[in-house]
Amino acid sequence: MNRASYTAARLLQIVPTFILIGIVVFVLVRILPGGPVAALLGDKASDEAIERITRQLGLDAPILVQFWRFLETIARGDLGDSIAYHVAVVRLIAERLPVTLLLTGMATIFAIALAVPLAFVAAVTQNRWPDLAIRGAFQVGLSSPIFYVGLILLTVFAGAMHIFPVGGYGETPGEHLYHLFLPALALALSFSAVIMRSLRASVIEVLSAEFVDFARAKGLRRRIVLGRHVLRNALISTVALIGLQIGDLLGGAVITESVFAVPGVGRLMVDSIFARDYPVIQGLTLALAVLVSLVFLATDLVQMALDPRVAK
Amino acid sequence: MGSLHARLLAGVGMFVGLALASAGAEAATRGGTLIYARYADSLFLDPVLNDANVDIWILTNLYDTLLAPTSDGQGVSPSLATKWDVATDGKTVTLTLRSGVKFSDGSPLTPQDVKWSLDRARDPKAGAWNFTLAAVDTIETGPDTVVLKLKHADPTLLPALATFNAAILPQKQFEASSGSSMEEKAKAFAEHPIGTGPFAFVSWKRGEVMKLKRNDYYWKMGEDGKPLPYLDALEFPVIPDDSTRLLKLKAGEIDGTEFVPYARVKDLQADPSLRMELWPSTRVRYLTLYVGDKYKDGSPNPISNPKVRQALNYAINKDAVIQITTLNLGKPMRSYMSSSTPLFSGAAPLYPYDPAKAKALLAEAGFANGFSFSCLSLSGNGDDANDLTAAQQMWAQIGVKLKIEQVDNPTRTAKYRAEDFQCRTSAWTDDIADPSEITSYFAYYPNIHSLHSGFDDKRIDELFEKSQEENDKTARTAEYKEIQDRYNSAAPIVYLYETPYPVAFRKNAKGFVQIPLGNNLFESAYIEK
Repeated sequence: MNRASYTAARLLQIVPTFILIGIVVFVLVRILPGGPVAALLGDKASDEAIERITRQLGLDAPILVQFWRFLETIARGDLGDSIAYHVAVVRLIAERLPVTLLLTGMATIFAIALAVPLAFVAAVTQNRWPDLAIRGAFQVGLSSPIFYVGLILLTVFAGAMHIFPVGGYGETPGEHLYHLFLPALALALSFSAVIMRSLRASVIEVLSAEFVDFARAKGLRRRIVLGRHVLRNALISTVALIGLQIGDLLGGAVITESVFAVPGVGRLMVDSIFARDYPVIQGLTLALAVLVSLVFLATDLVQMALDPRVAK
Repeated sequence: MGSLHARLLAGVGMFVGLALASAGAEAATRGGTLIYARYADSLFLDPVLNDANVDIWILTNLYDTLLAPTSDGQGVSPSLATKWDVATDGKTVTLTLRSGVKFSDGSPLTPQDVKWSLDRARDPKAGAWNFTLAAVDTIETGPDTVVLKLKHADPTLLPALATFNAAILPQKQFEASSGSSMEEKAKAFAEHPIGTGPFAFVSWKRGEVMKLKRNDYYWKMGEDGKPLPYLDALEFPVIPDDSTRLLKLKAGEIDGTEFVPYARVKDLQADPSLRMELWPSTRVRYLTLYVGDKYKDGSPNPISNPKVRQALNYAINKDAVIQITTLNLGKPMRSYMSSSTPLFSGAAPLYPYDPAKAKALLAEAGFANGFSFSCLSLSGNGDDANDLTAAQQMWAQIGVKLKIEQVDNPTRTAKYRAEDFQCRTSAWTDDIADPSEITSYFAYYPNIHSLHSGFDDKRIDELFEKSQEENDKTARTAEYKEIQDRYNSAAPIVYLYETPYPVAFRKNAKGFVQIPLGNNLFESAYIEK
């Protein structure tokens, strides 16, 4: 199979995934106790007010009718209106998804920049002091809650030293990068620990492979052996790992966005679940499902580029 | 512990005195942007269709009402109406409109705008709050007057005209908004609201920041003889995390913030660059008890016996709870309504801590060996956790076992509305400068079964209905005294404490007012250069 038809096939696979996730989330939000109208109107609302708004929103219809209407809105390329905010879900997502993409993108770059060189150093100095120091440091990073790391970064670099702003997002692209530096770093720390451990293990494994001995025996310089042969082979499994971690990264973004007051979809999701804002939860879940599918696809394509055997 | 309350009162008094002194002595500076961080964003800027505190506390900066609550929350003062005249039978109210008032787009306010806005607010199909204007029969307009003809005398009408849902909107601009139904037009209009309030809407990125600018047409005059507000602009960033909000304040990135956690108040008071403000509020914290004879599963309810409820109240050491949860910023409740609510009649703190009396009452009620029940608490809410773990230990002393059940807000609301709970954590803030709102929810059975507790006292219902049409202030005060006495001795709730609104500002950001109803007033706020 060539790369283009492979990509097309994978894109087609997203469609059934999308439908299945749509059904699951549609049912799940309705299983949660409490509904959007009572959550919106609060404890003071009268029964009449709740009934009237439930009717207006069509939430009194049988669940199959509601599901049919949900499919209709999706078919129109629409995701309905938010019950709490009274605006289109598409607009909320369009305003906030780029923020989360930038945050997770920066976090991924930071994590790779941090993990790859140190994993190499750790692997080639296996069980000697640099390896132990690096592994120890990353173990701390891995086991510290993002919430806590975030607060420490904020207190030190923003609160005390005033190098970075205390949360927020800013107005211009430059300000966005500046504001997201600390949250991306907080998010990157535990992520980089996962990458570092995996890459270190792969490098150690590859270093003992026969083709490396062969390359060395050919008299290739150490730097070429490590850079061209070891890195490329060790990265194959690490790239897959980075792709698979996207879910965790989005989960971490929820917490990071709250601590750093970043207006992304993570916070929107949490707020919407607490408000039982069905259309937002459904729309956002579908958008994230597509996003995760695309990241998996991109991961596979990168893996194919590194290792043509994957395509076969 | 009495001295602590005296100290707290002295502190609040000193603060109010200081605020008044600073407002009087220093001239306010004009210009600049004030950034006030909020814990949660607004949802929908329509005064009729929405009633969340996050909206109504902000709406007062965009919209005016005919009357305004006084800053002590006890009465009403002129706003868009300069004069109001209630006929002796109480059935006609004539309001004279302020002349020359303009909306933020420069168009003039007309008596027709007022009639249209109030007609919309009292339409039973429009909003949940139409009941506040239910006594209105017809509205007539004159050249500069609006006449409300009432079905019966209504002592709550004037406070109702000072409440958020009676805000005056421009009819033409509203009706010109896109959409075919009133709901659709309301959505479109709320995207870019136009009012007569001190500030005009600029932009809103939901979940991130709302921006307002000064309304150049605003009618109220500042102390310098020029129109308010002093500020050029006002920004409301949303920062849900308490620690981040306070860190931002300390770093000088914002000028002020709301809902300072009680545990941080001392720390902020000690910071020379900040000013901690504790505004008197109508907020009360209590536990709602289900008092029906049987629970949903058919089992008998020990709490249906008033003696058991009194025992639960006597067994709570209020001073200890106030210390644990509010670090002594709260004060014990003297009635179900806050001491800032008009016609409040609590003489002394209710149910002073007395475990021996609590045990005796339980024995009298036939529960000498105690019993067990469970209470719904909001997961992740520190105040709930503190209050309930304290209550759990205190009740254990009289043999009552409390199970704490942590749920999220919609779950708690669903169980509450279904009256399928034994106990739940609760807080209340008045929206109207009148005791009728809190009383209709807490004590008047026909509204929501007295906080869905099932508490049903026919005498209270009768007194309440009478007080709603009572034209004589002395008689109404007496009716409210009896309602409060009856309710408080029947104890369908566990009385915990009243708290002030804790807000903090940079030293140079001054003039903000939060009234006991919670409204955030920025019209006289300024930033000292």
